[in-house]
Amino acid sequence: MTNETVTGDGLDGGVPYRPRRRVLVRAGVPLAVAAVIAAGVGLVPALAADSPPDLPSLTAEQLVAKALGSQTQALSGTVSVTTDLGLPTQLLSGAAGGIGAAAGHGGQDAGSSADPQTKLLGLLGGDRTLRVAVDGPLRQRVDIMENMAGYTVVRNGDQSWAWDSSTNSAVHLTGAAGDRHPKAPLSELPTTPQEAARQFLAASAGTTSVTVAGTANVAGQKAYQLSVKPTQSGSTVAEVRIAVAADNGVPLAVAVKSTDGSTVLDVRFTDVSFAAPAAKTFDFTVPKGAKVTEKKADEVAKDSAAKDGAAAADDAKAHGNENVNVIGEGWTAVVTAQLPGGQVEVPKGDGKHGGRGSVNPQGMIKSLGKPVDGGTLIGTKVVNVLLTDDGRVFAGAVTLPVLQHAAGVN
Amino acid sequence: MSRAETSHAAASRAETSRAEATVLRTGRRPQTAAGFLALFRNELHLTFRRLRTKVLLGILAVLPVLIGVVVKLNTDSPHEGGGGPSFIAQTTQNGLFLVFTALAVALPVFLPMTVGVVAGDSVAGEAATGTLRYLLVAPAGRTRLLAAKFTAGLVFCLAATAAVAVAALATGAALFPLGEVTLLSGDTIGLADALLRAVLVAGVVAVSLAGLVAIGLFVSTLTGSGIAAMAATVGLVITVQILDAFPQLDAIRPFLFTHYWLSFSDLLREPMYWDGVLKDLGLQAAYVAVFGSAAWARFTSRDISA
Repeated sequence: MTNETVTGDGLDGGVPYRPRRRVLVRAGVPLAVAAVIAAGVGLVPALAADSPPDLPSLTAEQLVAKALGSQTQALSGTVSVTTDLGLPTQLLSGAAGGIGAAAGHGGQDAGSSADPQTKLLGLLGGDRTLRVAVDGPLRQRVDIMENMAGYTVVRNGDQSWAWDSSTNSAVHLTGAAGDRHPKAPLSELPTTPQEAARQFLAASAGTTSVTVAGTANVAGQKAYQLSVKPTQSGSTVAEVRIAVAADNGVPLAVAVKSTDGSTVLDVRFTDVSFAAPAAKTFDFTVPKGAKVTEKKADEVAKDSAAKDGAAAADDAKAHGNENVNVIGEGWTAVVTAQLPGGQVEVPKGDGKHGGRGSVNPQGMIKSLGKPVDGGTLIGTKVVNVLLTDDGRVFAGAVTLPVLQHAAGVN
Repeated sequence: MSRAETSHAAASRAETSRAEATVLRTGRRPQTAAGFLALFRNELHLTFRRLRTKVLLGILAVLPVLIGVVVKLNTDSPHEGGGGPSFIAQTTQNGLFLVFTALAVALPVFLPMTVGVVAGDSVAGEAATGTLRYLLVAPAGRTRLLAAKFTAGLVFCLAATAAVAVAALATGAALFPLGEVTLLSGDTIGLADALLRAVLVAGVVAVSLAGLVAIGLFVSTLTGSGIAAMAATVGLVITVQILDAFPQLDAIRPFLFTHYWLSFSDLLREPMYWDGVLKDLGLQAAYVAVFGSAAWARFTSRDISA
């Protein structure tokens, strides 16, 4: 550390040179540094996640009412989305391509990469960070921060924009869109904790136990933890936990646990502010040179109304298949559809290069799944899909026996 | 160790332009900042006057020209984005984006390769040519010599990044329009603002390489062969990046020094998103602390025989 270490040390100092001891002592220094850093990395989050805050106790009903009755109109913040569905990745990219192609059928082909459907499906795989800004029901903005790229959806009144930086393309949606449309991209998958919580709370009547499970700190806010558990057997969802801000009832985090104990979805604010975002946040001007696809709201509404019925059956959805039914209710609802046999023409890849190939959907599922009684199963941590030998598809967040029962197997 | 001996040692290193080492010959004065500064300037000369360094910087400067020409030639053909390196779609709209494209292309391979060569060779190279023992005869102190070498390595990181960025800016300005810049979030900012961001990004990229300099320096103290140290350092960079590509290694990936390198793109959003960049800088600081102290422990207790 000092200049004792300079050359000549041990040669003229009269002290016996003991290299081994010195090596040992010196080697301890980097080890100590590494240990201190490791301890810091380990301890700081532990200290930051301090003890749960003391809050007056609430009943589950009061808490749900607080969440549903939240008057907060404006907020902005950073949201982290972590998904671990255990989906086969080929399936995910295939489905994204299929949906992108389906979106292309409705309007012009160009700009389909900026279509929200394609992007949101991408959220199913892995971790994403989003920036969210909301100011009332008519002005919203979501920025998906992708690796080296960005994807932005902005709604300001009757103008909505979706912008994809990696292709420099945008989709412009105009018209007196009701509440539904520009929000629709956000409502199909829970991209904000609010949306996710609302969906779970709406689906909870009758089949669910809702309790208050203590308190927690989320993004620096004191929050109650609402625990939602299915009471029906056969569901693969074990628990949904929603953190509701104690101050204003805004849901700040949603975590879904599957019956095998892993967290399959974790959407949470890492940073949140309830001040109204700057007005310019919601102004979107078309970047220079961007390809813009114009769409009218009613046209899109029609387009996706055909799709909405078949949330789980992607292929059926892409081809406007009408034979979609729901069996059962609540957590154990099973969606069923007839899958077209033989070859189906789909644009290849992301549908941008105009190449068309044919895909046999039954063959694809069979190659990905594993054979079970009565058909082929594609199992993920939450959603299971059963393809029966006669070409029907059963899907739901349920265990295999429930699917087999719905299919009438054994 | 007389003064005559010291100046003789310095003279013997004339080939590597260590003439300034004579500044240090007045006893233990180099404890002072001036002493360190002389040593540091000396290291800078040694690094930047070598033909090898000039060639490396030249290669780095040619890379953006190559990218720019390829993108320019492809602009006319029907090219829908999605393929190729990042930011290509933006580059055709604004030449300034070539800076970011070039940095994104150079950061995984070319920049660490050159830094690995310079850092890996810094101690081992001198040991191999036999100049190290003479250098240590001067009362400069091993600790300060190591610090000077590390600082010179950092300066090389800056120079290498600047070579890429400046060449990219010149190429971009020549081949593509300049003007308002569209950020990744779809917002548009003026050219002056965008230039500031380019400088900021280049700075972040240069500092991102600090951890690698420390690793290279440590490897360099382990061996007496410059080639071995360079190869080990560059090989380590490649290995770590391969490991970083495995999703199965999620538990350790955030601690790999290359993991946040490309987070500089978060500075191209409006407002800037610092999370990844700050993690990157923290990680680099940790690597510098660990491998810097390891290099120190090794170098100061090592028996220099070559």
